[in-house]
Amino acid sequence: MLDRYIRQLPPFPATVSKAMEICCDSNTSPTDLTKVISLDPVLTGKIMQLVNSAYFGLSREIISLARAIIMLGMNTVKNLVLGVTVLSAFGRHKDFQALNMDMFWKHSLGVGVIAKMIAKKRSINNRLIEGYFVSGLLHDIGKIPLNSKFSVEYMSIMELPGKEPQPLYISEKQHLGIDHTHVGHLIAEKWRLGAEISDAITYHHTPETYQGAQNDILFTVILSDYFANSSEIGFSGNRILKDIWPEVMRYLGTSTDLSIADVSEFNGEVAQEIEKAQIFLKVAG
Amino acid sequence: MKLRFWGVRGSIASPGRKTLEFGGNTPCLELRFGLKNRLIIIDAGTGIHPLGNHLVWSGLQNGPINTDIFITHTHWDHIIGFPFFRPIYISGTKLRVYGPITFEEDTLEKIMSDLLRYRYFPVLHGELTADIEYHQLAECKMDLGDGITLKTKYLNHPLLCLGYRFEFEDKVLCTAYDTEPFRNIFSTDVNALDYDPITSSNGEEAAREGNQRLLNFYRDADILIHDCQYTKQEYFSSKKGWGHSFVEHAIDSALEANVKKVILFHHDPLRTDKELLELEKYCQAHFSNRSDLEIMVAKEGMEIVL
Repeated sequence: MLDRYIRQLPPFPATVSKAMEICCDSNTSPTDLTKVISLDPVLTGKIMQLVNSAYFGLSREIISLARAIIMLGMNTVKNLVLGVTVLSAFGRHKDFQALNMDMFWKHSLGVGVIAKMIAKKRSINNRLIEGYFVSGLLHDIGKIPLNSKFSVEYMSIMELPGKEPQPLYISEKQHLGIDHTHVGHLIAEKWRLGAEISDAITYHHTPETYQGAQNDILFTVILSDYFANSSEIGFSGNRILKDIWPEVMRYLGTSTDLSIADVSEFNGEVAQEIEKAQIFLKVAG
Repeated sequence: MKLRFWGVRGSIASPGRKTLEFGGNTPCLELRFGLKNRLIIIDAGTGIHPLGNHLVWSGLQNGPINTDIFITHTHWDHIIGFPFFRPIYISGTKLRVYGPITFEEDTLEKIMSDLLRYRYFPVLHGELTADIEYHQLAECKMDLGDGITLKTKYLNHPLLCLGYRFEFEDKVLCTAYDTEPFRNIFSTDVNALDYDPITSSNGEEAAREGNQRLLNFYRDADILIHDCQYTKQEYFSSKKGWGHSFVEHAIDSALEANVKKVILFHHDPLRTDKELLELEKYCQAHFSNRSDLEIMVAKEGMEIVL
């Protein structure tokens, strides 16, 4: 069932109407097209899936939307986005949902924006920065199928942490037998998202078990997630703020002099970015 | 290796008095390899109809037709002749059809067999007596047997479209249609409202890499058959993003990739014989002194031995 649902994952309600408006306009600007896709984890993931599965001979996975749009062409991308959004507009996914999708959208976008800001502050090469944003945007993608397909169970799980204080992913595992990082991993595999994004999705709650080479993006996403949760930027169902694994701060801190205090400075900027996105999408605050 | 052009026109077949000399059929190219005269066909535009007749009328004494058709992409002008390819109605014919698919989830078999549905055509695909296999392609390298190696590369077209590079006995033939130059579609003007430094630099790099990837693909080819649907003026005034090239781009690409002969192909349906002859003269006048590159304008019926 999950597998079928992953194939038909709908875009976020916040972005659907703007995405349709932009894709139906024959004079759409590439910037607007990129912007609306970049504000939606599902649309972003689908574009990445297409470019990485078609161009499988590439020496490295494409994680930049701008790059994907140039390689695939505006028409292909517009048609793909339309295909995905039209499905959702026909109300196939109007089931009861436990998570408020607008709040969840805000959280996802917030983590993406913060990850990009941290990367900029750490002077990461422009070419690589989009990967930080995309990984942040997509880190909780595994919650979408759980939220829609097991909404009643999911609702009760989200209430649980108050009773037994533990992070959401542990409750998910206990009560559903699978957690959102695992579901996210399945999506990342299916969409061929590449190690950077895939590892951020899979290990953002368990960095201490991570053996791969994408520490930089993974740790940045973990810190961004922590910051988004502590500053209550949107809501992704997790009411328990677990301390960050010290190695994450050591890695980001010692290599870049980045501290929690620095990160807190991003607060205003993140709020501004989200507001800009809402104005662009015409979503009520 | 031998080549014969059965269709050189883009977009839509354009028969008539003004296209008699260069021909009005849409793309179809016959390739023959070695002593076995192995047949490989590129694209099934309307040109595949006369090719099919020719194969049936002249070739059946050598046994049933057994061939590979490589579709560059599934736009109408490159597949519309398929239901009219006579060998598909002959029992004993063996066809292997290769091609890229779209971003949708339909298979190549579904896309091609949809051409033979009652709403479009009086015969169903399931009623064909030929033995037809379909193979979906992406970027790859394939050994086709008989000493023929095939490499494929995605071009720049509104639909996923493959260029084909055939290597046989030290000779190389490369196709580059339908395609246009990769370009940065994002604003590079720092004062523009929609300027974003990250998007802009990613776009610049993607376009540069895209063009370089194709030059590497054409590298040292003996023949490069290149999309040349538009004039430079047409391209820059209103056809950017339509997925087709202009003459200067085709020739510059051939020069940069050290190609020996470039054949301008996929002519606009409105391009008359007179205009194509002028194009030929223009190329000779402007480019002949720049290198040893030989420039030809593709013509229906044209044969080349490599």
